[in-house]
Amino acid sequence: MKITKNKRGDKILSVYWFAIIIIVAGGIFGMVYVFYSTPYDTRQVEARLLINNLADCVSYDGQINSDLFSGGTLNPSENYLSKCHLTLNSGDLEAWKNNEQYYMEVKFYKISDLSNPISTLKDGNNNWLPGCSVQAEKKISNLAQCVERSFYSLDALGNQYLIKILGVVAKSEKNVKM
Amino acid sequence: MKKRAVRDKNGVILIDNIVFIVLDLIFLAILVLFLYKQGSGAVMMEQAYAKNAVLLIDAGKPGMLMKLNMADAIAIAAGNGISKENIIKINGNVVTVKLSDKSSYSYSFFNNVDASAYPDVQAEDTKDNYIIKINKYN
Repeated sequence: MKITKNKRGDKILSVYWFAIIIIVAGGIFGMVYVFYSTPYDTRQVEARLLINNLADCVSYDGQINSDLFSGGTLNPSENYLSKCHLTLNSGDLEAWKNNEQYYMEVKFYKISDLSNPISTLKDGNNNWLPGCSVQAEKKISNLAQCVERSFYSLDALGNQYLIKILGVVAKSEKNVKM
Repeated sequence: MKKRAVRDKNGVILIDNIVFIVLDLIFLAILVLFLYKQGSGAVMMEQAYAKNAVLLIDAGKPGMLMKLNMADAIAIAAGNGISKENIIKINGNVVTVKLSDKSSYSYSFFNNVDASAYPDVQAEDTKDNYIIKINKYN
């Protein structure tokens, strides 16, 4: 009688034991699957590289590109950024073909007034811009990633300018688990 | 008769334990295999190398020659019957990495350059490298 009771206890214990193993294994499988199915998010790096390219385009060797001046004043043409050797069409996803995944903005400030830009250049899809203000306090990976950098540069006469460049990269479908 | 019963009981306990241990080992082996497969799978690696190549091209200027060590990707591609020359393809501004017949990964770059990619075959110690060349601005 005693032996029979012990056997039943063993059986119940083994069922629980299996249940625990299955739960633990399921948890590990789930975590690993979620971890590895999340794509690498390279948008911040891309935005920085975009800014570097734009910085080289508007200023080189510490001096603002002379093409941005007309009659001695900073007065760039609106489509100046189209000369910066950038292609904003992303053909790797069908949905991106008619929907540019980048936005960029270059603002020039005189050193005497750092709150009002004297000139602003823009290119790309400005629909991504509202996402930047939303993320000012907290990053939301599903939205486009925004990076802003600034640096000082000189004109031919030695006048100082502050240049602020904003780079925005969307490409959420390939960088975030949707 | 009494002795036999005791022997039977011991036998049952031993078989139970062996079954549990074997099942444990099978579980563990499947888990380790799953982790290994996930970490070194073609799908993950295709994405990693495509994005790597794109970032290199975005950072490049015409005339630059960049070397990317792809030893693990080349090994996976060889195992899947993909030749070394067909791993990275650049079409327009899209880089495509293919390490198996069933999958490939494409990612686009914004630098408006004419870029090409080919395996480095110059020396034995660089045979695992891929060369990404930025030819000129488009």
